[in-house]
Amino acid sequence: MKKVFVVFLLLASLVMGSALFAQVTQIPREEAVYVAGFQWGPPTTDNPLAGSPMTFVSDPRQHIWIYETLFTWDALNGKYVPILGESYRWLDDLRLEVKVNPKAYFHDGEPVTADDVVYSYKLGQKYPLGLQIWEWLKDVYKVDNHTVIFEMKPDNPNRLMVEDAIGATFILPEHIWSKVEAENNYDLTKIRQFRNENPVGSGPYKVFYESPETIILKRVDNYWGNEALHGGKKPAAKYIVHPIFKSNDEGSLAFENGEVDVSQQFTPRIWEMWEKKGLPIGTWYDEIPYHMPATMPSLWFNVNKYPLSLPEVRKAIAYSVNYARISELAMSNYSPKVQASLILPYGGEAKYFDENLVKQYGWEYNPKEAVRILEEDLGATKGKDGIYVLPDGTRLGPFSVECPYGWTDWNASLQIVAQGARAVGIDIQTSFPDAPIAYDNRQTGNFDMTMWAPSQPGPAQPWLRFQIALYSKGVPEVGQIAYSNYGRYKNEWADQLIDMIPKVTDEKELKNLYTELDQIYREDIPMFPLMYRPQTFYEYNETYWTGWANAKNPYAPPMPLVGAGMEMLWHLEPAK
Amino acid sequence: MKGFTRYFFQKLFWYLLAFFLALFLNFFLPRLIPGDPISVIVSKMMSGTVASETQERVYQSFMEEFGLDKPLPIQFFNYIGNVFRGDLGTTFSLYPLSVNEVLGNAIVWTIFLQFPAIIVGWILGNLLGAAAAYRKGVFDKTIFPVALFVNSIPYYALAIILLYVFGVFLGWFPIGGGYSRTLLPSWSWAFVIDVLHHYFLPFISIVLVTIGGQAIGMREMSIYELNTDYVTYSKMLGIKDKKIQSYVFKNAVLPQITGLAISLGTMVGGALITEIVFGYPGVGTWLFNGIRQLDYPMIQGSTLIIAMMVLIANFILDMVYGLIDPRIKAAQTEEG
Repeated sequence: MKKVFVVFLLLASLVMGSALFAQVTQIPREEAVYVAGFQWGPPTTDNPLAGSPMTFVSDPRQHIWIYETLFTWDALNGKYVPILGESYRWLDDLRLEVKVNPKAYFHDGEPVTADDVVYSYKLGQKYPLGLQIWEWLKDVYKVDNHTVIFEMKPDNPNRLMVEDAIGATFILPEHIWSKVEAENNYDLTKIRQFRNENPVGSGPYKVFYESPETIILKRVDNYWGNEALHGGKKPAAKYIVHPIFKSNDEGSLAFENGEVDVSQQFTPRIWEMWEKKGLPIGTWYDEIPYHMPATMPSLWFNVNKYPLSLPEVRKAIAYSVNYARISELAMSNYSPKVQASLILPYGGEAKYFDENLVKQYGWEYNPKEAVRILEEDLGATKGKDGIYVLPDGTRLGPFSVECPYGWTDWNASLQIVAQGARAVGIDIQTSFPDAPIAYDNRQTGNFDMTMWAPSQPGPAQPWLRFQIALYSKGVPEVGQIAYSNYGRYKNEWADQLIDMIPKVTDEKELKNLYTELDQIYREDIPMFPLMYRPQTFYEYNETYWTGWANAKNPYAPPMPLVGAGMEMLWHLEPAK
Repeated sequence: MKGFTRYFFQKLFWYLLAFFLALFLNFFLPRLIPGDPISVIVSKMMSGTVASETQERVYQSFMEEFGLDKPLPIQFFNYIGNVFRGDLGTTFSLYPLSVNEVLGNAIVWTIFLQFPAIIVGWILGNLLGAAAAYRKGVFDKTIFPVALFVNSIPYYALAIILLYVFGVFLGWFPIGGGYSRTLLPSWSWAFVIDVLHHYFLPFISIVLVTIGGQAIGMREMSIYELNTDYVTYSKMLGIKDKKIQSYVFKNAVLPQITGLAISLGTMVGGALITEIVFGYPGVGTWLFNGIRQLDYPMIQGSTLIIAMMVLIANFILDMVYGLIDPRIKAAQTEEG
């Protein structure tokens, strides 16, 4: 028996030995804020240039804990919040001037200067990183130690995307990364593989501990922004802990039990947590829709596939969808009424939204109207099986509609789409392949209908959404990979309008151009939104921390300690 | 050439052939899954941006880094070359981690789970099987049908039932993972107990199935032995029952040892369903993730490890047979 025990101990020590290399003591619960919902696999690297979807520090629009951006977007008011950048202004049609905060310094004490900014943006010129800004930029240069000029190409300027980019790139310390470059012979594949195990940034936290189960960040006590941006206050939480859950259920349970303080996971029927269970839990609004809408998961048509190439067929489908049911069943009522527009009637872009036109030319759930379009506009007749047939003998379906398997709210939405279509006489079948296959089909145009959300809120909206939905220039043929306009819609007038908008600054003219575009969109309907979704879900549990922002106290947007929601770190206070 | 040497090399030749065939399948089968893994990586990186050359350049740089821009035969030879250098490549879905790193950690969990479970299940199964054969009566009438029942439930169903009853319904055990995500690994009692708490359900599920299978086999072998002439003769000589039982046990257990060797060899592959159901961080979980993410290097790496373990176990078994059983060796060498 002794032997068996010894063997068992040996095995046990083998397993735990590997985890023990980084032995840490217990994190005091009252000093740590637990966040969840940003990462679902083990941390793989802390290198912001790796571009891996699994890295915790890689998304400059959200995770500005360690590395910081010049600005961060506040979707509440449609404005930038200054971080490393103090201010920005357009000097003329082509040049944008950004002032860098002279008080900023990195964790190692080195100041953040215009050189670091220029260096960070120029990395995207040197290497194929995700940095798109160089499509429009001629040069980035410094004027003095705290002033940087972004100068656009005269033949291809894009004011909107350049403004977008100054909030979407980490400013890296040149004195560290130029060494990394040199050590890796300026070879991008080697630079990408660099793990950057102890990242030196300028942000309020740094990496304390990482394992496949948890990531722990520790407060930087001499963070420059405490003085310069937050009136000398330090964040109350000494640690930020992100447990990596294997599933939504596991994370939701932990959140309900108070093991997680703030989460961006989709949590169904959240109101029951305070209404029925009396838990100290809250969301942005304390009633429907609970969250602030920001993105538009949409149904995209392959507009070149007959008979989906007929706008009437597409419109009939749009009329057959029971949007309220999608919101209720798939989205737990988190989506307000969806409008027939590519402009979001909330936040900074609401000023371009034309309610009258939406009412006059838009669609909503109305099966009778769908049937009328099919019968009167298209002259279709109902077959014995209850499915309409066009005059040329083409049966309306079977069409397939697709999205990745396991995205439960999306899967449910598409089932409701299919039911609604069948009820009016259009045959739609759902198909839920694994994510890589769904991605591949979507990008190569190998689909009848597919589901995808056009883009995140930011300074380039709603232009960017129109661009992604309607713009045909540079989008390859079906069969090759496209990263936007998946249905290969083509309209020269729309292309021209989209080209025009980034050069326009006059608000009145902008409103006219957007209205015109939105009308084209409504006539041709190459895709249509099924629901509105928040940028990130935001639900907080006040068992350990209070002071969270919400609609009644909107000092920061509803983002769980990321992006402009970072502000909350300086407002949180221990409960009790 | 001497008998055994010849036998050894003949076997080695066939096993090497099987190994190359496995390498070949490992490489080509994942590539038959439709979908483009690189476009998935790029589209995650570039989501929400406008159509542009940048996307194409990023795409190309990843194609080059993973060597996917080269023709398939060249990719295949690169892969073989890397395998012999002990390099299984960089994963796509966990970029830039190497497959060696990920599977190196995972295999420890797999063995930690499977090895003790198989051994415990084997010992208990054989004891119960033997007991059922000797004692007969009520003992046999309960153990045998129960073992048969457990053994004939599909394993995944058994695992899910255990998980549902003890994890979800009764809430006695955690529903997944190797240890709690809110706990930091350390040599504390709290952590060790937490690991064992997570360990219990997957462990017991393997033990149950192993017991079932082993008990049935052992019972049958023992009954067969009990009816042989030497047992009758020993009884006539008046040798004590205990003594006879130990003879019978020794003879009956021999084929069971073969079974043990095979289950240890197939251990890594056999862990697949257990790990997926219980979310245990072993090789099976990564293989499953790899398939879902079109992560070619991860799929190749895990299936290669599984294939190698099976081949090595069988090879060792063949060698041991060849050494201890001259009949096998003779028969095999004559054929060749």
